[in-house]
Order: sequence, then C-alpha cells, then structure tokens
Amino acid sequence: MTVLLAPAPRWTPPRRRALTLAVGEVAVGALLAGLAVLALTYLDVELTPPWQAALLVLCAWVYVAAGTIAWLRRPSSRIGLLMTVGGFAWLAAALVNTEVPALVAAGTVVTTLPIAVLVHLLLAFPSGRLPGPVARATVVGGYVVCLVLQAPLYLFGGHGPLAAADRPDLVTAGEWVQRGAGALVVVCACVLLFLRLRAAPPAQRRLWALLSAYGIVAVLVFPLGPTVARLLGDDGLTVFVVEVTVTALAPVAFLVVALRGGFARTGEIEELGAWLGADAGGRPPLTEVLAAVLGDRTVDLLFRVPGERGWVNGAGVPAVPPSAGDGRGVAEVELGGETIGAIVYDAALRPRSQEVRDAARVVALALDRERLTVELRASRARLVEAGDAERRRIARDLHDGLQSRLVLLAVQAGVTAETAGNGAADVAELRAALGAGLRELRGEIETAIDELRALVHGVMPAELADGGLAAAVEALADRLPITVVLDLDEVGGQLPPAVETTGYFVVSEALVNAVKHARADELTVSLRRMPGELLRIEVRDDGIGGAGGTQAGHGIRSMTDRVEALGGSLRIDSETGAGTRVLAELPCAS
Amino acid sequence: MRVVIAEDQLLMREGLSLVLTRAGFEIVAVAGDRDELVRKASAHRPDLVVADIRMPPTHTDDGLRAALELRRRRPGLPVLLLSQYVQRRFAVALLESGEEGVGYLLKQRIADMDRFVADLRRIVAGGSVLDREVVATLLDRHRRGDPVGRLTERQREVLELMAEGRSNAAIAEQLSIAEKSVVRHVSHIYETLDLDRSPDDHRRVLAVVRYLSA
Repeated sequence: MTVLLAPAPRWTPPRRRALTLAVGEVAVGALLAGLAVLALTYLDVELTPPWQAALLVLCAWVYVAAGTIAWLRRPSSRIGLLMTVGGFAWLAAALVNTEVPALVAAGTVVTTLPIAVLVHLLLAFPSGRLPGPVARATVVGGYVVCLVLQAPLYLFGGHGPLAAADRPDLVTAGEWVQRGAGALVVVCACVLLFLRLRAAPPAQRRLWALLSAYGIVAVLVFPLGPTVARLLGDDGLTVFVVEVTVTALAPVAFLVVALRGGFARTGEIEELGAWLGADAGGRPPLTEVLAAVLGDRTVDLLFRVPGERGWVNGAGVPAVPPSAGDGRGVAEVELGGETIGAIVYDAALRPRSQEVRDAARVVALALDRERLTVELRASRARLVEAGDAERRRIARDLHDGLQSRLVLLAVQAGVTAETAGNGAADVAELRAALGAGLRELRGEIETAIDELRALVHGVMPAELADGGLAAAVEALADRLPITVVLDLDEVGGQLPPAVETTGYFVVSEALVNAVKHARADELTVSLRRMPGELLRIEVRDDGIGGAGGTQAGHGIRSMTDRVEALGGSLRIDSETGAGTRVLAELPCAS
Repeated sequence: MRVVIAEDQLLMREGLSLVLTRAGFEIVAVAGDRDELVRKASAHRPDLVVADIRMPPTHTDDGLRAALELRRRRPGLPVLLLSQYVQRRFAVALLESGEEGVGYLLKQRIADMDRFVADLRRIVAGGSVLDREVVATLLDRHRRGDPVGRLTERQREVLELMAEGRSNAAIAEQLSIAEKSVVRHVSHIYETLDLDRSPDDHRRVLAVVRYLSA
C-alpha cells in the first residue's frame, strides 16, 4: 500500500483557522517565555555555563514546536497538546537557573516534572488518551513521584529558597522512596508498553517497539544520569548534555512516528463533511480521505450491496470483516436506517470508536455513492460475462448444429450426384431416382432453415426487431403452454431499442421462471407507458411464490443487472403461496 | 396468370421468380417497397399479388399494410404474404380483410414447389392458406382444460388442416380417409367448439382462427 497522504485542501475551514491562530499564540507564548527565562538566567560563568541554561530552553522549544505541528495536523488527538505542555514543563524547570528567588522556588518544585510528562506521553501515544485505568494510575504515579516525592529533597536539602531544614538523613530517605516509587512507575510503564506492542498491528510493531524503547531510555536518562556520571568519572557536564539531547529528541521521535501513521494536513472529523463536499472533481478516494483524517493508514471500507448476503470489498468481492481480538475495529455506517457499509480501522490507534463512528456518520452519503460504484462495477462485470456466455452459446449452436447439418447436406448431395440412378434401365427411372434424392435433400435443407430460424430467434426475436415489444410479447405468450392474459394496449408509440430488448428479456425471463418453477395456472403480462417517460412492466402469476429471496437466482440477477443498466428498477414480490409479481420500470425517453 | 411480386431482397426475388415462372405464372411487375407495390398492383390489375411482409420503408409490416390497402380498393384480390417468421396477429389481420383469396406462408415453403404452387392456385381460386406453423402455434395455446383439449387426436388433425385452409376433399386425401368421415369429424369439431356452421369449406378458416386466437 502506498503512503496515504491526502493532498492539502485548497481552502482552510473556519474552525481550522481559529485553531491555527490559537496554536500559533501558544507557540509564540512559549518562544517569548523562553526568551524571558534566558534573559533572567543567572549568569555565573563559574557555576553554570550560559549554554547549559540555554540548552534547557532549547529543549522546551523543541517540545513546543513538535507539539504545535502534531496539534495542527491532528486537532482531534491530544498528543500535540501533551507535547506542548511538556515544553512548558521544561521552561518551568529551567526557572531554577534564574536570578529571581520566587521563580527559582517554582523551578525547584517542578524540576522533574518533564519526566512525568514524558511517561504520560509514552503511555498516551498515539491518540493522546490513556487507554485504561492501569495506564491512568501509572501516569498519576509518575506525577506523584515527580511533584510530591521530590519535596523532601528541596525542603530538607539545607539550601535554596524553599529549604526548611538541613536534614541529610531525611533527604537520603526521601531519595530512596522516590527511587523506589519511580522504579515501580517505570516497570508498570514498561509492562503496559509491552502489552500494547503485542496487540499492535504487525506493520506498526517494529516502529512502536523502537519508539517505546527510546521513550523508556528518555525517562530513565535523568534519574540514572548522575550514577552513570559517577561510574564514568565524568564531571557531569557531558552526561547532562546527553541527558538533555535524549530527552529533547523524544517529542521529535513521537512526531515522526505519528506522521508515518498517516497524519495529514486535514481537518477534524467535524470538518470531514465540508472537506468531502469541497472539490468533488479531483477528490481522492474515500478510503484515502478517511485514512488521512483518522490518521490511520490501515483504514479499509466494506460495503453491503444488493444481491450479496455478506460484505464486499471495494472490488465487489465478498469479504469477511475482522473479528474482535485481532486489533481491528469495525464501525458500521448507516444511512436511512439501513447498514450500507463499515469502516475497518486500527483499534490500537483508536481505543474509543466514537470518533470513527462520528466519521462514519459524516461520510455516510459519500460511502453510499462509493457503494453504488462498487455495485455498478460488479454488475457491469456480470453483464459482460453474460454477453460473452451468450456469444459462446451462439457460436456453439452454429458449429454443432447448423454447420454440421450443412456438412451432412454437402455429403448427401455428393452421394446423390454419384449414385442416384445407378443401374437405371432408362431415362425415366434415372429421373425418378434423381428426383427422389433431391427431394430428400430439399427436406434436409428445410430442416436446416428451421434450425437457423430458431437460432436467430434465440439471438433476437424477429417479432421484436420488426414489430416491437408488444408484438414480441404477444408472440412469446403464444408459444407458452399456459394461459397468458395480456394487457399491452398502453405501450404507446415507439420505444428505444435498448428498452425493447431489455423489456423483452424481463418478460421472457419472468414467464419462463413462472412456467418452470411457479406451477402457475394463469399468467398476466402488462406493459404500460407511465407518465414521466417510464415503461412499467408487470408479470404476475398465481403460482406457489417463494421466488427471489436474499440469495437471488441467476435469472433474477441478470434481470436486475440489465434493468439497472438502463437506469430502471426491478422489484420481485413473491411470498410463499401468494404467487409472484415481477415489476420493472424502465426509463424510456427516446 | 399474371402476378405482381413485392420483395426487396434480390436473392429471394430471384427464387420466387424462378418458381412462379416455372409454374406458368406471368410476372408482370416487381416492387421493392410498399408504395411501389400499391402503385404497380393497382396499375397492372394482376390475378395474384405475392409480397414479403417485411420490406421498405419501415422494414416491419409494410407488405401486410400494402396488401390490406390493395384489398380494400379491390376486395377479393388474391394475395399471398410471405414472411421469414410467422406471427398470429398478421394472420388474423389478413383474414379479417376478407377470407377469400388470402394466404400467409413462411418464405421457405417456396422450396416445396408442388405444394407451393398448389397453395397459390387455391388462393387464386378464392381459398385461404395458412402456414402450418401458424396453425401449430394457435393450437399450442389450447392445451389445458378447454374444448380443444377434448378433441380426439384425429379431430385435432382435421382441425389443423381446416385452419390451414384445406377443403374437406383435400383433408380426406391428406389423412387417407373417406370424405364422409371428414364431414363427420368437422361437424363434431363444430359442436365441441360451439362454432357457427359455415356451409363453405372456404369460409370457415377465420372462424377457426378466431376461436383459436381468443
């Protein structure tokens, strides 16, 4: 499958414009806030090099930038919002490096908050929503570890604006509690990620595995950083740079994966309807639009079409919808109370089907159109097949029947020429023998003519070609062994040839069915020209009924195909015991 | 005997001319479409008109229309209509223009020259001739539970030949039975089908055809 990125629409919906404006304001706010933080940064080259403080602000900006892009491309997902929040958390943490005591205090409190946000991001990817109570508890745990359990460190550390006492023992105890709780949160997150990975569609599993691994590393890089620095004998500066870089690249990784998942610059689901209606000419196929809007490249459509009991895919081929448990969701699309199709989507990407159902509601009309196209394609194929089969039949009849008979005739003529009158005593006897042979030949030729006539009749009844539909139906009725009541007086004038042949086909098919299956005593055929250039064909019998049903027979299917090919409609009422009524209406504007 | 032929297909016209000439008919005019037929048949006042039903200008039933027009102008004008296929409604329309001197046959019947020429002479003599396929179609319509179904096999055969326009004598000869038996069968058929008695062999075809068409 190709990458399903819908082309950018030529217009921007109003809601989009408002959103762009809001997100832009947030981004500008982050930019200004970052600059303010940098301006207030305490410049003591000895203690903290200025680039070190700048690195934190830069990291915050990366978060906000990635968040902004994700937010704009997928307004319905909260992942962009979450990334932006992460950016502000980084800005807040960077306040530690400022000269203002109140800001330093605030920065001290939230100093590890970015890690909690990272855990949140990891577990909420890609929908931006947490998939269950365990995930929610884990994320809450992360925030508690980072905000609450951080308190002993700055309260009892002995220095800083929030220091209440200098109690190294309490600090050590607090550190251990925080580490233990933090480890628990990380383990929980790992298990959740692993479980989600197993449920992920195979196509996405590798990418998700990479992303999850990277996320865990990014979460652990700060808590474990000092230990690693100690082990390596590093002064802490190199490790710090690595820490910030790994963390800063996390939202970039999220964004890249999200974009590969089919983020396109399209609108929200609510805008889908307007988007679909915008440019009907060069509009991409519905599947692509849905894939782009839902951000799910695996989106597929199934249809219900008349004449098929189950679902069919876009090619009109019967298809089985995915069952629960294999990571696929199915949202049925209804129109006028009737199920017309279904959207099959990636359940892992969208744990809540509500959005897909909303989309289904919006695209119902478009999907109905697509469905008709699918049905049209299938019926067109059946018509072509029927035409081919008919030609094969004609060719076979000509070969096996007429041609063989003509060959036989030629042989017979040759034999007569050679042998007739052999041993005849006189001219009279010779003439008699020749005459007998030739008369026999003539009889055979007449049989061949009869055969040819029957053949031509099967291809196109001469009555239909010469006399029109009413005459042909009359002749047809003449040949049936059942009483046929005809009501042909209101056929009106000349009908278009295609209407005549199709009408004839319907009547003959219905009559043949009635004679073969219905055990009818009486048949009624009525042809009537209705107002609005419509030919109404009705064939009724008083037989046993029960024709048609869900699994329509081949004859009924080809009747329907041919009628619908002319833009007409066909209905069959055939309740068991109540006879059968075939009603066809054909547009007949000539 | 003078004949006007109306046939737009060259091969068929040749065949028809051959058969008619050999049977001693004189072809006084040949027409290729409806108007020409009406014009020439009116001008030449022939003893017989032989016309294809399907011909220009509409290629549908122009021959039949011309024949009806001609017989309206000159009642009793002997007309034989030929057709690639037979249709009951054509037969009925022709018979309703008057039962004397009309015929309706499949084109291929001209190959059986003796029989064809005999049919022609019957038409000229004021009789009527219907193709056996038309008659078979008519009879096929009556299979279940109606008076025709109550006829014996022999009576059905007689009815068939009656519908073809044969006289009692011809039926007797065809079925190799005595003419008196034919008369008995015919009266039984009349009773069974409740037909009005017709004194003349030649005037009963329409009654039978109408009965069978109903």
